[in-house]
Amino acid sequence: MFKLAWRNIWRNKGRSSITIAAVMFCVIFAVVLRSFQVGVWEHMVGDIVANNFGYLQVHQKGFWGDQSLDLSMDEAAIDWAAMENVPGVRSLVPRLESFSLVSTGENNRGSLVLGIHPEEELSGLRLTDQLIDGRLFTPASNEVVVSEGLAEYLHVAVGDSLMFLGQGYRGASAYGQFMVAGIAKISNPELNKQLVVLPLETAQWMYNAMGLLTTVVVDLEPNADFAEVKASLEPLLGADFELLDWEQLFPELVQTIEADMAGGQIFVTILYFIISFVLLGTVIMMVSEREREFGILVSIGMRKTTLAAVTVLENLMLLLGGAVVGMAAVKPVQFYFKYNPIDLSGQMKEAIEQFDFEPKLYTTTSFIINLNHGAIVFVIGLLVSSYAVWKIMKLNPVKSMRA
Amino acid sequence: MSKPVIEVKNLEKVYEGAVPVKAVNGISLTITQGEFTALKGPSGCGKTTLLNMLGGLDQPTSGSIAIGGVDITTLSENALIDFRLRNIGFVFQAYNLIPVLSAQENVSFIMLLQNRPKEEREARARQLLEAVGLEGKEDKRPGQLSGGQQQRVAVARALASKPQFVLADEPTANLDSQSTANLLDIMERLNKEEGMTFVFATHDDRVIKKARRIISIEDGKVLSDD
Ligand SMILES: Nc1ncnc2c1ncn2[C@@H]1O[C@H](COP(=O)(O)OP(=O)(O)OP(=O)(O)O)[C@@H](O)[C@H]1O
Ligand SMILES: [Mg+2]
Repeated sequence: MFKLAWRNIWRNKGRSSITIAAVMFCVIFAVVLRSFQVGVWEHMVGDIVANNFGYLQVHQKGFWGDQSLDLSMDEAAIDWAAMENVPGVRSLVPRLESFSLVSTGENNRGSLVLGIHPEEELSGLRLTDQLIDGRLFTPASNEVVVSEGLAEYLHVAVGDSLMFLGQGYRGASAYGQFMVAGIAKISNPELNKQLVVLPLETAQWMYNAMGLLTTVVVDLEPNADFAEVKASLEPLLGADFELLDWEQLFPELVQTIEADMAGGQIFVTILYFIISFVLLGTVIMMVSEREREFGILVSIGMRKTTLAAVTVLENLMLLLGGAVVGMAAVKPVQFYFKYNPIDLSGQMKEAIEQFDFEPKLYTTTSFIINLNHGAIVFVIGLLVSSYAVWKIMKLNPVKSMRA
Repeated sequence: MSKPVIEVKNLEKVYEGAVPVKAVNGISLTITQGEFTALKGPSGCGKTTLLNMLGGLDQPTSGSIAIGGVDITTLSENALIDFRLRNIGFVFQAYNLIPVLSAQENVSFIMLLQNRPKEEREARARQLLEAVGLEGKEDKRPGQLSGGQQQRVAVARALASKPQFVLADEPTANLDSQSTANLLDIMERLNKEEGMTFVFATHDDRVIKKARRIISIEDGKVLSDD
């Protein structure tokens, strides 16, 4: 029976190649499309989350909502050693973040002020790779590193001084004058426009928040599952703290991604519709081409269920062939564009940059996408094959042989 | 007296339509083991309709058909298909074969449906193809065989299942006289040597001449039987 199905594949090469090509094209197209879509987000989330904000952050309860320094936590209230021992945790990164008005005397702008220990930071804020001018501040000094966009806006250069004016801990006023030691290009466009980085101790001192932190970023081991780590960390933190994952930290980002994905989904769905009709066409073609033959087979004593099974088996082999080839063919494409993203130019670039996205198209190499779409197309093919099954089951041998 | 293989009583077939057509109008007949019988008559007289009902491919409107004592009009669809597989050999007018299988495989196929062991299938297929004069052509696909050769493969296939009888509807309609004579000789020999019962529906004089019993049909009725 297998032989019969196999031979049938080769009898109408036109039909078989249409089927394989349609399935292949559909898988390739759907996977490429989704790979770019997922890839762009993966890259962006990777940048925002993995490089700058972390998958998990610990704050005093309510801080993330209020963004108020008054909801800072005491360094000593955290059991650093216990948390660092949790599997999946690579390190804990202390930060003090707040907003201040930053001024040169002529220009000023509300800025995100971040007190950090650069050598303990996530890769996006270690600053050694990001510096485009000057040098890193020396520990506990009155020096700052300004993001590229902000420096441009304020027209400051290395060596200039900046005034800070803001609210400190518990209503104290926060005031300071600092020297620009370096200018850094931060990968996240939003941060690049408004970030000022200074030594953690200097920030604590300026905000009258000695020994206090707003944030502890949990840096994860490369393949750690943030949800698992979160679950193991939670019991180590008292009720005074909040432990938020990146989806809680950036709900708008999650929403944007979901909306964008839904848009892509619609596109792919339309594609699936088209492919369904192409496949249905090939099945109709097959059934009408073989109507007489089916009639003879049933006449001489082949059960309809057996005949249907052979026919489905034939289609199954074709579909599987197309899906596997499609999934395989798309793999190198995915890898290539992951590491060689398409650089957008012109209008498209401007439009995208307006939304603070990096104007590059990345792909994901996640094989799940390939499998998913391979499976979907496969299922569509099976559904479409049921037309043949239906036709066979209601076949009247006398009528079909007259045809 | 040989035993009856087909017993038909008061068979009627009406095709419903705007004008209902009584294609078979009260036929009773008995076919016994070892017959070589032709159903003849003008086009449209009901030969094919009758033959299809004898083969369990079509249901009569009324009347009964007993094959080897089994009333096939009461069988379920699957039971009927299995019954055909075990008891009836078919040769149709043309394009009888599965195009993607070789001559040998076409003959073996029906035995595969009967779950016969592989060695038996191969041996019997080869033997039957030899009997119909096709040794050396076992591996040819139907497309590589002439019309006459294809019909001979169909005869071999019909016999392969060891049926009680073979029904052949216009088996020579698409053949030249040489192939027709050839095919008829083969069937006659199988009939004589193996005692296989053959029933033809035909208006081909070459077939009718060879038949030992000729049933004439007109307007769905038996006109003469001798
Ligand atoms: N499916 C059908 N629906 C309606 N009428 C039919 C059908 N099949 C056959 N008939 C009619 O029944 C009558 C008998 O047809 P049948 O095919 O049995 O004749 P036949 O003797 O085999 O003719 P031929 O020698 O041309 O093959 C004809 O009048 C035909 O038009
Ligand atoms: Mg006829």
